[in-house]
Amino acid sequence: MNHEQIAVIGGGPAGLAAALAASEAGADEIVLIERDRELGGILNQCVHDGFGNLIFGCSLTGPEYAHRFVDQLPQHPPIKVLTDTMVLQLKQDRRLKAVNREGAFEMKPGAVILAMGCRERSRFQVMIPGYRPAGVYTAGAVQRLINMEGLMPGERVVILGSGDIGLIMARRLTLEGAKVLGVFEILPRPGGLTRNVVQCLHDFEIPLYLSHTVTFIHGKKRLQGVSVAPVDHLGKPLQEQERFIPCDTLILSVGLIPENELSRSAGMIIDPSTGGPRVDQDMATSVEGIFAGGNVVLVYDLVDEVTRAARIAGRAAAHYVSGVKRTAGRLILQPGENVAALVPQQLSLPLKAGEKINLYLRVSSEIRDAVVTLLRQGKVIFQKKLRIVRPPEMVHLQIESSLFEDLHDGEEITCRVTAQEVNQN
Amino acid sequence: MSKNVTTLLRELFAEHELEKFALQIEEQEGRIRLSGSVDYWEQVVTAGHLAGGIRGVRSVVNEITAALEPPPPYRAPVGNPTVIGEADVVIIGAGIVGAAIARELSRYQLSVIVLEKEADVACGASKANNGMVHSGIVQEPDSLRSRLNLRGNALFEEVCRELDVPFQRCNLAVNVFKEEELFLLELLKARGEMSGIPVQLVDPTELTALEPALSPEIKGALLAPTTAMTSPYQLTIAYAENAITNGARFYLNTEVTALEQKEGALTGVITTRGSFRTRCCINAAGVYADRIAAMAGPPEFTIHPRKGEFIIFDRESAVEHAAIATGILELARDPYTKGGGTMLTVDGNPEWGPTAVEVCDREDTSVTAEGLNRLLEKFSPLLPGYEARPAIITYFAGVRAATYIEDFHIAPSNYLQGLIHVAGIQSPGLAAAPAIAELVLEILQEEGMVLLEKESFNPCRREPPPFSELPLAEQNRLIREDPRYGHIVCRCEQISEKEIVDALHRPLPTLTLDAVKRRTRVGMGRCQGGFCLPRVLLIISRELGLPLEKVTKSGPGSPLFSRRTKEPLPRKEAISR
Ligand SMILES: Cc1cc2nc3c(=O)[nH]c(=O)nc-3n(C[C@H](O)[C@H](O)[C@H](O)COP(=O)(O)OP(=O)(O)OC[C@H]3O[C@@H](n4cnc5c(N)ncnc54)[C@H](O)[C@@H]3O)c2cc1C
Ligand SMILES: Cc1cc2nc3c(=O)[nH]c(=O)nc-3n(C[C@H](O)[C@H](O)[C@H](O)COP(=O)(O)OP(=O)(O)OC[C@H]3O[C@@H](n4cnc5c(N)ncnc54)[C@H](O)[C@@H]3O)c2cc1C
Repeated sequence: MNHEQIAVIGGGPAGLAAALAASEAGADEIVLIERDRELGGILNQCVHDGFGNLIFGCSLTGPEYAHRFVDQLPQHPPIKVLTDTMVLQLKQDRRLKAVNREGAFEMKPGAVILAMGCRERSRFQVMIPGYRPAGVYTAGAVQRLINMEGLMPGERVVILGSGDIGLIMARRLTLEGAKVLGVFEILPRPGGLTRNVVQCLHDFEIPLYLSHTVTFIHGKKRLQGVSVAPVDHLGKPLQEQERFIPCDTLILSVGLIPENELSRSAGMIIDPSTGGPRVDQDMATSVEGIFAGGNVVLVYDLVDEVTRAARIAGRAAAHYVSGVKRTAGRLILQPGENVAALVPQQLSLPLKAGEKINLYLRVSSEIRDAVVTLLRQGKVIFQKKLRIVRPPEMVHLQIESSLFEDLHDGEEITCRVTAQEVNQN
Repeated sequence: MSKNVTTLLRELFAEHELEKFALQIEEQEGRIRLSGSVDYWEQVVTAGHLAGGIRGVRSVVNEITAALEPPPPYRAPVGNPTVIGEADVVIIGAGIVGAAIARELSRYQLSVIVLEKEADVACGASKANNGMVHSGIVQEPDSLRSRLNLRGNALFEEVCRELDVPFQRCNLAVNVFKEEELFLLELLKARGEMSGIPVQLVDPTELTALEPALSPEIKGALLAPTTAMTSPYQLTIAYAENAITNGARFYLNTEVTALEQKEGALTGVITTRGSFRTRCCINAAGVYADRIAAMAGPPEFTIHPRKGEFIIFDRESAVEHAAIATGILELARDPYTKGGGTMLTVDGNPEWGPTAVEVCDREDTSVTAEGLNRLLEKFSPLLPGYEARPAIITYFAGVRAATYIEDFHIAPSNYLQGLIHVAGIQSPGLAAAPAIAELVLEILQEEGMVLLEKESFNPCRREPPPFSELPLAEQNRLIREDPRYGHIVCRCEQISEKEIVDALHRPLPTLTLDAVKRRTRVGMGRCQGGFCLPRVLLIISRELGLPLEKVTKSGPGSPLFSRRTKEPLPRKEAISR
């Protein structure tokens, strides 16, 4: 059995950033394990641009963004890359089992960084009734088929869900000559970023039907059409207004979920609101020596944020194997009013002087002139005003650790996002 | 008696508000033929069931139509009379029944051909059922269903051992939730004992000791420990492959369109691909068995399709689920989920279902929102700690081929010598399949066929164990032999490229994505192929020498792509050092 210092599972942007950060922080043996032929993760199929605005200050395509990192690898001799290698199993004691064309092997590294990314929800997870014909795809599968295999899934397309990948595929399919008949979203607001709604739908005159859903999938062999209907405020379809749309392709963009089979097999605590492992400010999970970064923790909006979070994990793992650990207890971060997901879920103590804490949160509903508040036993310890918060756009805050200086092990901090009080005088 | 049956049926029609339709009833020696027109499909089915329920009635042909709910138009395919083959026995339909019969016949010095209209075996009811090998307690004691279920259950373990198909005794708890319903368990127990089925009554304490996940609200249960689970489509495939190994021939994408006869005796079978000379044909065509029967002469029985929907849950959630199968017994039964229950498939996924809905379309395998909700509402009370909704990974439906007698109809045709019907094979057709095959062989002998054993017959078939479940050293040995074992294509089910390639080169051709799925479990996990689909398609295309855009999901009419965009760009070499 090998005893690498650090194993990174997943070679997407998160895994790449984590491995590089660990190397920069002085780790001298890092193995980066990727199941696919190439490094880069999902970015390899994202040929559109819009990546890297935050980190590189320019708009790159997915593969370009990935290569900014891949190209750095030669300067980091401690990083050993294993592509075409799949991790099959991870145990609580960090023992992992992987397999590739050379063989199956086990290793027990000093630290593990999870960077397996996320996967798409299927039609079954959103319970769309009907038949199971050919022609029903998830948006990510279509992205791969068109961009990497050169195959068109069909010509008359309905898209369910207005997540970013769905919006981007609406544009892509149109450019490839298919007719996108509409994007149907069950919520009263689009799921993707505003820029994607504008650039991918409005610019191509593709209709977006909010508060609508697909109620039935027709066709025994190939898709013949879908029934669609508006929904009431509870998301229940209004049957009287159901109508049939003939089409040969239904594309689902109904959400991503962190890929956490390995996390579960290692016995770590999964946060039901993010779908990923609970982590602290170092991206350490509830299992000793296992860290996590990127979409495996929380589905971020932007790959830049994925990179940032994964760097933290990489650095922390390097410190961990060199013996630096936080052992003075922890503070619990609780999502409060209008907070759907919050990362990290806890802060491990002691906090370092001048340490900056990155908080990521997703709100449940849109608020203009909002304020994010951190409360300790009902008392406000931090507030920040935001012009607008919307569920599809993640909120990122940087907070000085000094704010938590006099808090003790086990204390809770609640985070809420509410409307700003209107000034009465 | 003739008059009595007709009069009685008229009275029954009146009771069920069917008299206004002035339906025609013809009766002859216990065979009833109904015709006329009603408003709804439900009324068609009611009329048929009223006729079939009369004592002494042996068959019902129900030609009543529903004016407001016509079934989808039937497009009769065009047959091709060119002779392309000849066999001692031709079997129509490669479901579990046709495949089991083919395998049993392949023991003897006979040539056997199986004709199947779909692109794979097990595309009808045989792929969409619970996979339960019932103990037999719920069957009417003197029915053919009961007799063949019991015999089938007794034969099953051995069959699965020979064919290397999973078989697990799972036990079954039939539960009641009300004190006043406990007597139902006593009745069921008496019925089981009458048929010689091992059963045991348990009180709530014993039950929860046995299965802690079950609700403490349950007032009592009857256990049927001979209940077992198998994989219905794997067994069908295994039967077919073993039959092929022993000389049988399977023609897929081959639909029977007519039967040829001379002087009342069968001479051949015409299909969309060509015709086959034969003097013996077995009708195992599932929901279409009545149409095949009608190719021989006047209709002999009518199949009314009854749909059943299921939900499959994530394997990881199985720890919160009961390991034994369960059902519910109630005085006021919901007609839409008559039986059904919760169970674990042989792959370890919790499974709930089925529903029971009469449908006019024989191919209505759609799952409805009502069906899903009905299942979730009905079975959730059994397992209070189980969070069903978030664990759903897929759902599907199958159609039972029921006759109005609601029993199997296994008998020679009344009109054509050489044609044998194996029809009305609804539940427990899977559990009974080995016994059905046995019975068909007996009938063939009675009809004068001579069965001479073949020395070369090999009853065994081997399925390689899943790579992912092998110990490390064994995995390494296999990878050294063939590195494609080390390339995992389906991440949820951990299926390697080599396993997919092997599935594409087995005795029975594997032509479609769904066929690969049924043989390897590729794409059957929680992402339902979202990730591996493009990768699996590439392998299918390469191995079958089929351009990618020609690969289908389930045969002709189910293309996966409409065209190529452009030739794919050459890939960069993988980065590895
Ligand atoms: C289909 C899809 C399309 C997307 N499109 C966009 C977009 O257009 N724009 C955008 O900003 N964001 C997009 N995203 C979000 C995108 O996932 C993130 O921005 C970013 O790629 C996440 O980085 P990651 O490294 O966490 O995950 P990924 O990029 O998914 O990388 C995870 C890597 O881990 C590997 N891996 C997983 N499990 C194992 C294992 N057991 N063994 C070995 N390797 C393993 C995978 O092969 C993969 O390469 C998309 C996501 C998906 C799923
Ligand atoms: C919802 C549901 C749940 C069930 N649960 C159970 C269970 O738990 N246990 C159990 O024992 N049984 C169960 N059953 C019953 C069991 O599935 C069936 O009895 C069994 O599969 C019937 O097999 P078959 O071969 O007769 O029919 P099928 O599998 O339907 O096969 C008939 C075949 O004939 C082919 N065919 C039809 N017409 C033609 C033609 N003209 N030319 C060529 N081929 C043709 C069809 O394509 C099909 O492949 C269930 C059934 C359903 C629907």
